[in-house]
Amino acid sequence: MRYENAALAIDGGDLPLGGGLLALIRPALDLLEPGGTLAVNSLNQALRDDLPRWCQLQHHEYLERQQTAQDYDRHMIARGALSLPQGQREHGIALPQHDGQISAADVLKSVPMPEHADPASGFAPRGARVEPGGPRYPFTLLDRDRVAPPEIAKLYDQAVAAQWNANTDIPWHKTPKLPPEIERAIGQVFTFLAENELSALYLPSKFVSRIHPAYAETAMFLSTQMADEARHMDVFLKRARAGGGGLGVSSATTSQSLLSLLELEDFTEAAFLLSVLGEGTFLDLLSFIEAHAPDEVTAEVVRRARGDEARHVHFGLVHVRHALAHDATLYTRLEAAVRKRAAMLANVGGAPAPLQDGLTVLAAGSIDTKAIARGHEAFRELLDTMHASRVKRLKHAGFTNEQAETLSDLHTPNFM
Amino acid sequence: MTNETILLGAVAYDAKVVTIWEGIREYFLQQAAPMDFVLFSNYERQVELLLKGHIDIAWNTPLAHVRVQQQTENRSLALGMRDSDQDFHARVVVRSDASISGLKDLEGKTLAVGSRDSTQARILPLHFLRSEGVDLEKIDLLKFDTDVGKHGDTGTSELDVLAAVADGRAQAGVVGDLIWVNEQAAGHVDTNLIQSFWTTPPFDHCMFDALPDLDPAKVDRFKRALFGMKWDVPEHRRLLELEGLKVWMPPRESGYDSLRDALANPTP
Repeated sequence: MRYENAALAIDGGDLPLGGGLLALIRPALDLLEPGGTLAVNSLNQALRDDLPRWCQLQHHEYLERQQTAQDYDRHMIARGALSLPQGQREHGIALPQHDGQISAADVLKSVPMPEHADPASGFAPRGARVEPGGPRYPFTLLDRDRVAPPEIAKLYDQAVAAQWNANTDIPWHKTPKLPPEIERAIGQVFTFLAENELSALYLPSKFVSRIHPAYAETAMFLSTQMADEARHMDVFLKRARAGGGGLGVSSATTSQSLLSLLELEDFTEAAFLLSVLGEGTFLDLLSFIEAHAPDEVTAEVVRRARGDEARHVHFGLVHVRHALAHDATLYTRLEAAVRKRAAMLANVGGAPAPLQDGLTVLAAGSIDTKAIARGHEAFRELLDTMHASRVKRLKHAGFTNEQAETLSDLHTPNFM
Repeated sequence: MTNETILLGAVAYDAKVVTIWEGIREYFLQQAAPMDFVLFSNYERQVELLLKGHIDIAWNTPLAHVRVQQQTENRSLALGMRDSDQDFHARVVVRSDASISGLKDLEGKTLAVGSRDSTQARILPLHFLRSEGVDLEKIDLLKFDTDVGKHGDTGTSELDVLAAVADGRAQAGVVGDLIWVNEQAAGHVDTNLIQSFWTTPPFDHCMFDALPDLDPAKVDRFKRALFGMKWDVPEHRRLLELEGLKVWMPPRESGYDSLRDALANPTP
C-alpha cells in the first residue's frame, strides 16, 4: 500500500526515539488533522519497535513500515483523534508595529476577546488551542461585556508608560524644615491617604483571580492599578515621615468605610464604588492638597499620584458605562449597592475628624486664627467641589441628574 | 452496603492506587453500579481471596490472571483490560560499548533483570531468550528482586535495570517496552549509551478477573460502567490518566499463551 498523499514527511536521520526524534514527530503530527499521515524517514532500526509502541500509547495509528533506499525505513503514521486540541490554529497574525513598538491595543485588535469564555480552558492564553479534558477553573467573570471595556488594552498601555519611581522621581532632597504643627498636619493627611490607597490595592486583587484569562488585559490593567496603589502608599508614608511629622491617627470612620468596600463581591459594583465614586472623589482631594502644599515635595507627590488616579477613574467610568450598556438591571443594582453601603455607614458623621483638622491646618498654612478660618472655609469648599465633580462623573457614566445627585449625597463621608 | 455492591480487589503498589479507586468507585456509583474496593499488599493474597469468593472481581497482573485461570480450570471470567495492556513487549537493551551483536553474545555477559514475579522484566524475556536458543546458564543474571508480590507493577526493578546498564554494572538488561518507550519520551535515557537491541514477541498485561459464578447482573453493571469511561470527559480522563490508559478494551486470551508456557517451564 502506498500513501502518495502523505501530508507531511520528516527526515529522522539516525535519531532514536529517546534521542530527540519526538521533537520532530510531535510538532509534525500537530500540524495534521486526525487521519492525516506523517512519513518518518529513518535510518534507526530500533524505531521499528519503538515507534509502533509509542503510537499505540499515544493513540496514533501506526500504518506500516516501507523500505525505501538502502537502510532507510519509511514509517507511516496516521494522526489519532484523541486529545485533539480545540480551537483554530493561529496563522497569518503578524502584529503591526508603530515606531518599532507593539502595543497591547494592537494585540487586542489582532486577537479579539470572545464574548463568553470557557472555564475549562484554564490559564491557556487567548488564541492557544486547548487540549480537551482539562479541569474547570473557579473563574466567575466569564462574559466580555461584564469584564472588559473595549478601551482596556489602551488603558493598560498608558498605565505601563506612566509608571514612575517613588524612590528617584520625587525631589526628596528638597524636603523643607516646616513648623511642627504643619508637619503633623501633613503626617495626618498622608496617613489617611496611605490607608485608603492600601484598600485600593487590596480590593482589585480580589477580582483578578476571578477574571477568565481570555480577558487578561483587564487583569493586566488591574495589576498596574495595584502597582500604582503600592507606590502611592510607599510615597505617602515617606512624605509623612520625611520632615519628621510622623504618622497620624487611623480613624474608626475610615476603617468602617474601607471594610464596606473590601467586602464587595461584585466586580462592577466594586469598580463603581472604588474607582468612579471613591478615586473620583480623591482626585479633588489630591488637587486640594497640591494647591495648598507648603513645599515642592508634597506638591510633586500628590501631583504624580493624581495622574495615576485619573487613569483608574477613567477605567471605572468606561467599565461601568460599557456594562450599563449591556445590562439593563445594572442601574438598579449599582444604586442599591450605594444605598446598602450608606446604610452600613449610617452612624458615621462627617469626614474623619483627624483628616478634617489636618486638611484645615494644611490649607491655613499656619495656626494663626485668621489663617485657620480661611483653611476651614477652603475645606468646606472642597466638600462642595467633590459633590459637584461626583455628580458630573455619574452623569458621564450614564445616570440622570436626579440619580446622580442622590447617589453623590449617599457617598461615604470618608471620600473612599 | 447491599449485596448489589460489586466488591473489587486491587493491589496497593503505590499511594495513587487509593486515589484511582476512590475516583472509580465514585464514578461507578454515579453510573448506578455501586462498587467498593479492597486493597491488598500482594497479588497472591488477592488471588487467594478471589478464589474463596471474598471479593467479586480482581484487578490482576498477567501472572495473577493466568494463576486464576489455572485454579478455576479455565472457567474464570475475564472482563476487560486497558488498551495499554495489549501487545506489550519486553526489550533487551544493551550498552553501546558491550560488543553485543547477536543474542548469543549475551552468553558470558551480565544481564540485569527485574523482579522474579515481573512478567515483563523477568519471566517472559528470559523465556523468549531461551526459545531463541540462548543458554541462560551461561549468562550472569543481575537480579533486582524489589517489590516482590507486586508482580512488577511498581516498575522499580525496571528502573533499576536501566540504571545498572547505564552505570556499567551490567552490559545488558531486560525491561518492559512501556517503561522503555516512556522513559525515552520523557528524555530520561541516554540513547548514546543504551540502545534497544532485541524485542520479544507480544504478550498482554493486566486483566479484570471474576469467578464463573459471579452474579451476571453484577458483571453487566461492571462492564457497562467500565466501558462507559471516555477520555474526552474531564472527570473520566483524570482517572484514566492515573490508571495509565486511554480506552478500556474487551478481554482477549491469546496474549497470555506465552506466559502459560513460561510457567510450565520455569527459567532462573
